[in-house]
Amino acid sequence: MSFDVDEDILQDFLIEAGEILELLSEQLVELENDPNNRDLLNAIFRGFHTVKGGAGFLSLHALVDTCHGAENVFDTMRNGGRQLSPELMDVILQSLDTINAQFAAVQAREEPEPASPELLQALTILSEPGDHMPGGAAATSAAPEQAPEPEASAPTHISGDGGVDDITEDEFEALLDELQGARKPAAPAPEPTAPAGPAAASSSDEMTDDEFEALLDQLHGGGKPATPAPAAEQAPASEPEQKSASSASGDISDDEFEALLDNLHGKGQFKTESGKAVEPAKPEPAKAKPEPAKPAAAQPAASKPEPAKAAAPVAAKKEAPKPAAPAAETTVRVDTRRLDEIMNMVGELVLVRNRLLLLNSNSEDEDLGKAIANLDVVTGDLQGAVMQTRMQPIKKVFGRFPRVVRDLARSLKKEINLELSGEDTDLDKNLVEALADPLVHLVRNAVDHGVEMPDVREANGKPRLGTVKLSASQEGDHILLAIEDDGAGMDAEKLKSIAIRKGVLDADAAARMSDEEAYNLIFAAGFSTKEQISDVSGRGVGMDVVKTKINQLNGSVRIDSELGRGTRLEIKVPLTLAILPTLMVKVGEQTFALPLATVNEIINMDIKLTNTVDGQLTMIVREKAIPLFYLNQWLNKKPDPNFKRDRGHVVVVTLGTQQVGFVVDALIGQEEVVIKPLDRMLQGTPGMAGATITSDGGIALILDVPSLLKKYAKRYTKR
Amino acid sequence: MSSDNRSLKQKATVSDSDDPVLQWVTFQLAEETYGINVMQVQEVLRHSEIAPVPGAPDYVLGIINLRGNVVTVIDTRTRFGLPTTEVTDNTRVVIIEAEQQVIGILVDSVAEVVYLRSSEIDSAPNVGTEESARFIQGVSNREGELLILVDLNKLLTDEEWDELSQI
Repeated sequence: MSFDVDEDILQDFLIEAGEILELLSEQLVELENDPNNRDLLNAIFRGFHTVKGGAGFLSLHALVDTCHGAENVFDTMRNGGRQLSPELMDVILQSLDTINAQFAAVQAREEPEPASPELLQALTILSEPGDHMPGGAAATSAAPEQAPEPEASAPTHISGDGGVDDITEDEFEALLDELQGARKPAAPAPEPTAPAGPAAASSSDEMTDDEFEALLDQLHGGGKPATPAPAAEQAPASEPEQKSASSASGDISDDEFEALLDNLHGKGQFKTESGKAVEPAKPEPAKAKPEPAKPAAAQPAASKPEPAKAAAPVAAKKEAPKPAAPAAETTVRVDTRRLDEIMNMVGELVLVRNRLLLLNSNSEDEDLGKAIANLDVVTGDLQGAVMQTRMQPIKKVFGRFPRVVRDLARSLKKEINLELSGEDTDLDKNLVEALADPLVHLVRNAVDHGVEMPDVREANGKPRLGTVKLSASQEGDHILLAIEDDGAGMDAEKLKSIAIRKGVLDADAAARMSDEEAYNLIFAAGFSTKEQISDVSGRGVGMDVVKTKINQLNGSVRIDSELGRGTRLEIKVPLTLAILPTLMVKVGEQTFALPLATVNEIINMDIKLTNTVDGQLTMIVREKAIPLFYLNQWLNKKPDPNFKRDRGHVVVVTLGTQQVGFVVDALIGQEEVVIKPLDRMLQGTPGMAGATITSDGGIALILDVPSLLKKYAKRYTKR
Repeated sequence: MSSDNRSLKQKATVSDSDDPVLQWVTFQLAEETYGINVMQVQEVLRHSEIAPVPGAPDYVLGIINLRGNVVTVIDTRTRFGLPTTEVTDNTRVVIIEAEQQVIGILVDSVAEVVYLRSSEIDSAPNVGTEESARFIQGVSNREGELLILVDLNKLLTDEEWDELSQI
């Protein structure tokens, strides 16, 4: 089907709701660990609420219904009507899955399937306050312990009829629901409009809250509480104002007021620290004013800003230190394709700079030299700045793990605690996306293979609760990701014996293998320690895919394991994919670029230090024999008549745990290059990762070391 | 050349729609004259340094730097099953667009642009080698000289793609 809604609005909704949904799954798992966190409860409630609002505006009823159900449950919970239980969490997570599925359908421009009636039924039941805690008691008991929660505070109801005072918040909201036929308990619209006069009230009655909010959202460029937690901090501050304010603002409950503020301000504002949380109140009048001017605002919208304006100045007055930050929207959404284009152009600029630097080194002109030095600095800064715009916190990937681990642990009946650290580490957007799958795989492995069953753990003198640690940090020009578990660890001998049985390895080689090399066997294609097969992992695909994927990113994987103590996997990836530091070498007449990340050291070729072992030329480097390969023999189409075996330099590259020496004819130096993919005709040419334009305007092929070895050194890699 | 082109194009547009005039860029390859549709030709370059790509199919000469873009150059002689020759002053790289990609083809020399009416083009007799016959769209007899029209899209057929992707 096709939607007859404005594509722009739909796009805004998709982007925004997508972010919220991502955040929700994270928050839900967090909530399970910290069930009494009211800020979190509120944040989750608002998350569902916002998605519902947007969906309502786009008439995505299936999505609205599911969100509504989940939202109600959280409303009950935050009012103390129900405690979090694992069963409740399952239902909520299930509904989040449903919402995600429906959302995916909307993304594909299809009508979302309605949620199953059972799920909606379950949600309805859960949204009723639990038996053990009657609604009335909940509200009254909630009042003292939940100081910032205004629903229960008296002023909320003062201007209502006398009867309202006697009923609980739940009932009150339920009543409101009924009155408006709306589907949402925390209804900001009708209440704030009340003081604006009967005329306004009647006009807003005809509009559901969802529509109204969606309208507001639209007016404000989709600014919404993406990180609503700080908003809650604001509650205590604004509450007194509300009380002292005219009856006009007395009618607005805190939550509604917050929702209003959220809507009025871009989410950028709410990214501020809690200390500054009151700040958004200040710009309010300015922001609110333009609203009625917009024709789209129509009558009901125009009535809304009134209470907001009334409340805001009061809040502003009370606020002593005035933040200097400008009130205007400080963030802009940019199409990633545009960023890619910019990045490309910067790449070209870097090449031109390299070229100028080279030209300048042969020139005597001092002024030119200065100008080029300047250009060098500016280009470097520009490159850094553009790269920064593409950076995203790894949180985007990490965020899904609490859920993955929870679900997996539950289905495997294991007890696992996931610790995340360094979530704010920034890395290139493309890298974040590319790392997502390998990381999920590794974390699943850690949960499935790594951590033992609780009983086994206890028997081994470990705590029942296993721990999986996921960390990220920046180390110089690369990112280090570590996945650590305190599980059984890997048995190097067992791995070797399996490898021998599967014909991946022969017995002699196995005997010589260090433990670390043995751990790397798990990356071999088709290798699976079959005894452990499960529906989660162990099918023997995957680990080699993980390795390949990380190699593609010019990254490396290292495994460290101790039997009985746990396993640690380290992944190193470069900060960005757009620009590759390389070592330029000459082979015959041609220039080739070796990715610098793989280069370990460079030594002079000395034929006296070489030996032929088992038909393979090797060289002793730091008391270790490494195989030597003449790139000239591999990469020169015509045999070079001047080829001498005893000349050249050895570039030692690291491949996993192995070291290999490449003999090249000459070294040119280090250069940052932009990878140009090869044509379709040449794509997949073994050993070639791409091409690049060198600083002298020539062309150089970028070597892909693993596939180069695979193609030319068959015998060697087979072992 | 570009102004020439424009006037040629005008001629083409005024022609009879039943029998349209097509323009062909002709090039020499081992004493034979070949023609390729002018619409597929982007530019003609002098022979410059071509960086060979180790491991590539034998008819791929290598890659060149075309104003910052990497373009693959194929050896048309090898592709047509002809013996290779030395590079001369006349050797040209014709940059063409075929199958949605830009590639360069190395030819002995580029001659001129000719116009042919559709009716002047005959289906291909069995000329040239078997290899080259696969890429021939038709022939035209022009002033006693045979012009072989090449179908560039077939120059790299789908089979070739498959073959290449298997390497």
